[in-house]
Order: sequence, then C-alpha cells, then structure tokens
Amino acid sequence: MPHTMLETRNLVKRYDGFTAVDDLSFEVYQGDIFGLLGPNGAGKTTAIRTIMDIFKPDEGTIRVLGEPPGVVRRRIGYLPEERGLYQDIKVLDVLIYLAELKGTPRSTAREQALSWLERVELSEWAKHKVRDLSRGMQQKLQFVVSVVHGPELLILDEPFQGLDPINVDLLKRLIRELQADGKTIMLSAHQMNLVEALCERILLIDDGKGVLYGDLADIKREHAPGTVRLRTSDPIGALPGVAKAEQRDDTFTLTLEGITPQDLLRELLDRGITVESFEVATTPLEDIFITVVKERDNA
Amino acid sequence: MRRVLIVARHEYLVNVRRVGFIVMTALVPLLGAAGLFVAAFFGGQAASFLASTFVPEEGNIGIVDELGAFTPILPEYEELIHLYPDEEQGRAAVRSEEMASLLIVPEDYMDSGQVTIITKEGGFSAAVLEDSDTIQAFFVDHLLQDEVDPQVRRRVADPIKPVIVSLEEEAGEAEEGPLSIILNLMVPYFLGILLVMTIFVTSGYLLQGVAKEKTSRVMEIILSSVTARELLAGKVLGLGALGLTQIVIWLGSSVALSGGSAGLLGIALPFMVRPQVLILGVVYYVLGFLVYAVLMGGVGALGTTQQESQQLAGIFSLMAAIPLMLGGFMFTNPNMAFVRVLSWFPLTAPTMMLLRLPMTQVPTVDVVGSIVMLLLAIPVILWAGSKVFRMGLLMYGKRPGLRQVLRALRQA
Repeated sequence: MPHTMLETRNLVKRYDGFTAVDDLSFEVYQGDIFGLLGPNGAGKTTAIRTIMDIFKPDEGTIRVLGEPPGVVRRRIGYLPEERGLYQDIKVLDVLIYLAELKGTPRSTAREQALSWLERVELSEWAKHKVRDLSRGMQQKLQFVVSVVHGPELLILDEPFQGLDPINVDLLKRLIRELQADGKTIMLSAHQMNLVEALCERILLIDDGKGVLYGDLADIKREHAPGTVRLRTSDPIGALPGVAKAEQRDDTFTLTLEGITPQDLLRELLDRGITVESFEVATTPLEDIFITVVKERDNA
Repeated sequence: MRRVLIVARHEYLVNVRRVGFIVMTALVPLLGAAGLFVAAFFGGQAASFLASTFVPEEGNIGIVDELGAFTPILPEYEELIHLYPDEEQGRAAVRSEEMASLLIVPEDYMDSGQVTIITKEGGFSAAVLEDSDTIQAFFVDHLLQDEVDPQVRRRVADPIKPVIVSLEEEAGEAEEGPLSIILNLMVPYFLGILLVMTIFVTSGYLLQGVAKEKTSRVMEIILSSVTARELLAGKVLGLGALGLTQIVIWLGSSVALSGGSAGLLGIALPFMVRPQVLILGVVYYVLGFLVYAVLMGGVGALGTTQQESQQLAGIFSLMAAIPLMLGGFMFTNPNMAFVRVLSWFPLTAPTMMLLRLPMTQVPTVDVVGSIVMLLLAIPVILWAGSKVFRMGLLMYGKRPGLRQVLRALRQA
C-alpha cells in the first residue's frame, strides 16, 4: 500500500453562495507526480489554497503529510498561481529569507540557494536585485523559491504558465529529478501534453467536482476500450472477437469486442503471425478531457 | 516565535535602507545642526534684527503732556523720552521718523486712564509699547514722585516676580521665567509630536510594505510559510525596532550637537522632574505603536493598490491627529473634560496622553483608565486586524466590502 502524502475527503469551499470546490476527495501517494487538471475556473487553485491553509474549508477534511493543513508548512514547497517576488531585494537574499521562513537555518539556506541557482543557470544573478532579472529568469527563480528548503511534498499551481519551450523543458527535467530524489509532486495544469508526459496519476475536476481520478494509464485505457494497434507484414485474415479492422500499409487498427488485447495477442501468436509491434491504443488525454467536460456540460 | 523574529529582522533590514527612512532620520539632526550654525554665526545679527523689528526704540518715544504730571521729565528718562509741546509737533516728529511713537496723555488721564499712542505704522509696535516695562515705570515714577520713595515706586511699577512652587512637585527644583515655560510646555509638546511622528512614520512603512507585498503577489508565498498573525506580529516588531532606532539616533544627535549636556537636559528635564512621566511616556508610546501598527497592517491589506490603502489609512491617521490639533486647548487646560474623554478612547489615547503627561499632573483615574482601555483594545484590534489582513491579502484587484470584512471577522 503506497504511503499517502496528501489526502482530502469530501472537501467543500464556498464563496458568496458559489461552490468553488464541491465534495472533492483524492489522495497523492509518496513519489507521485500527481496532476490536478481542469478547465479555467474549475476550482483547482481554490482546492490548492485550501490544502495550503490559505483558505479554510467549509466542509471536509484535509491531511497533509498526515497532519491538518498548516501544521507542516516547512515540509511543503508551494508555487502559487499568483506569482511575485520582492523586486527591490537581491536574488540570493530573497531565497535565503523565504527558506528561513520555512525553517531552514540561515547558513544551510544560503548553501542550498546557491546550489539551486546553479541548477537553473542563475548563479551570476545571485547578487542582483530581482527587478534586474528578465521575466523568464524570474519564473525560474519563482520555482527555486518553492524547492530551496528541500520540501518532501511540492505543490505547483500552473507551473508551466507563461514559460517558453526551453524553460518548459528545463522545468520538466527538474520535476523528474525531484521525483527521482524521492519527492512527491502535485501540479495543476491545463496543458494536457505536459501532464501526459509527467504525471502517473491525475484528478480531473470540473465545476469544483472530481470527474476523473486515478492512474493515468488506466484512465486512458478506459476511454479507449478494446482498440489495439498491430504491425505485421503477414496477412491476418478474419480474427475472432475483432469487430472492425482498418489497415494502413502494414499497420492494423483493430476494434475488439468481447475479448481483451491479451486474448488477441495469444490468438495471433497461435496462428504463427509475426508480430512486429503490438500496443493497446489510447486516446490522447486532451480528447478525454474535452469529451468528459463536454459530456458534463450537455448533461 | 522564530518565524516572527525572522520576519521582524527582514522588515527591519529592508526598511532601515529605505531612502524615506534615511532622509527622515537624518533630517532632524541636520535641522538641529543648521540651527546651531545659524545661532553661532548669525546669532548677534538675528537678535538685533528681531529687536529692531518688534521692539520700538525706547529713545525714540515722544510724549505730549496735556495733564502736566510728566513735565519736566525725570532725569533718568531724559535720554529715552522726549517732551513735545503739542500733538502737531509730536505727530510731525513721528512722521519724519525722528520718533518711533508718540504718547498723548490727556487732561482727564487721572479719571479715564486713557493714553493715545501714535505710531507711523500702528499695530504691533503700539501693542509692545503699551506693555513696555519702561513706560510702566515712567508713568509710576512721575505720578508718585512727590509722594512715595523711589524703592516703593519701583515695586509698584513691577510688583511681582513670581517663584512658582507646586506642592506636588516640592521635592523637585522650582524654576522661574520663560525657560521654565519652554521646558515645561514646549519641549514636551514637541517631543510628543516627535514621538507621534515616529509612530506614524513606522506604521506608515508597515502599510506601504503590506500594500507592496500584496500588489507584487509575493504574499501567497509568505502565507504558505507563516500564519497571517505571525506575519503581522513580525512586521510590527521589526518596524517597532525601526522606530526605536530613529528615536535613539535623534536623541543621540541632539546630545552630540549640544556638546552633551544641554540637549539632553532640555529633553529630559520635564521628565526628570517627574520620573513617572518618563515611564508612562514609554508605556503609551509602545501601546500607541501597537494599536496603530496593527491597524495599518489590516488596512494595508484591504486596498488593491498602495494609494488606495493609504487613503483608507488616512481615516485612522486623522483620528490620531485630533489631539495634536487640540494643542491650544491643552495648553490652557490639560484636564478639560473633552481632553479627558479623548484620553480614554484607544485610538486617540496614546497621542493625547503623550502630549498631556508632561504638561500637567494627569488624574490617576485617567492614566489607569486609558491604559486599561488600550490593553483591552489591542488584542481585539490584533485579532480583527489579522482576520482582515488574511482576507484582504488574497483579494487581488478587488477591494473587500464591509460585508466581506464582517464575514471574515465572524469566521473562526
């Protein structure tokens, strides 16, 4: 059983009679890169702010690293959607101050800040004021702020927002490195390709409600049931349980009915067909996202 | 607590480097130094300029004696006062500036006491002449010259040289003359204003700081590390230390500029006469700073821009300035009912008491009552301030209405 780092149960948050988060329950496990997805205004940021103890929930419970929100602030790193830094203070001083607020001793904070500045190629800017940095540099610095104190759990609200492709790649690499170091990451995003590339588990929310939740591979499989992609130069003929077959060159897209992909693969091997490649076809996450949200809108 | 201290240190270090703080801190000693420079180099000229402007030359006073009691003029006044046979000649002398002023003593002077004073420009110099000790003595000496011996005449002309002794202050040294008035009234008053200024300057920094953090969107990161109450407490502590730094620099520079003793004596004497005033002064200063710093923190979080926050804060600054505006009333009666009421109201109490304490023996009930009211008010303001602070911090581009503020206060 994986260790739970973050858990919400029946979370509700309302503003002026409007329910921004509605009965939301999910878990983030240790070592996860967990994606919180949803269209604009779905309630992602409100859910995150409630987890971060910036807002108080109206109903439900939250456990962060086993504790109620606000108890373990120093073990969490947070990149808010609304970003900003002290413009008149030097880069290194900002990092040291914010790391100290998270409980890191000053000397350690300094060492870690310098190390992170090197990782994001901002070492030579350490003694400059934040306002001297370009927008892209400030965004990288903002990310460093969330990790400089070495948190166990990292919560990133729209981390790729406004980044150029080079910095998107850099951030993806850093997130993977953090995961490899044993950190747990929860990120909210609306760029589905990035979520697909990074996350193992997701929660899709719409109108404050959780509508898709679980292992990303499972979700994709569920939304593309019984479709396999097969490459072979042998003729395949009529196969039992295959309702539809489309061929392009030597690649077949087969729609299954009443059998699993494993059954089909066994049948192909039994018939002595040379299988050059065999994959369970999945629908892109973006398509699943659009379909689910539209279905809810039409309902 | 550690996080409160980290915020406090950060606030102190950031604000101590502010241009506004450096200018304000340097301005008072610089003005003092400029004053000393002016006094040292131009003191003599300035004094004679003031004398020539405001005090008429006594040698240039003419008199027309219709009563006959002033003729001939006694020898000791001959150089100062000149006799004219009639008003016409006297007026001509004033017109030609031979005389600065002319006194006409009518025949019915003994009944009416009326004397006409004619000057070229009128106004202030006539009023000064009326109160002149020389003129008073001139009249007494001439009217009583044949009846009373000179010593009694001198006493009649200047009957009282007061030495004031307060029974409550009998242990202290009694003082006399204008220096006493300056030390007892003016110095504490301006010291009070100075202290009030530091409260507003430093709580103003808090307001600016909060508004800036809010508009630069850095607040959410801070609030993910510390609670709103820790943040507010750290800011109040850091900026309190900043205000203290300013006062220490001002006092230190005044001591240095005056060569040590004089400046320190001038500031400390009214307090030293009654040491409890000094202690109470510190108490009101601290309480006043706490009230206003927390208020400014809360208000700073409400505005969407720094300007908007400052406009909102203006309401409270005005309230605290009321006692300063009432300075005139306090000079005449520091224990009047209205002044006492304002001493009990927590938002005006610190300013009012800082100004009142050195001026008079404030009734004990006022001191105890105002401190109790402040002590009760501070936790309430801190509680409400941090609620509003927390709510206001995260409302970007939109100012919370009264309903939202009230709802934030109701929330646990």
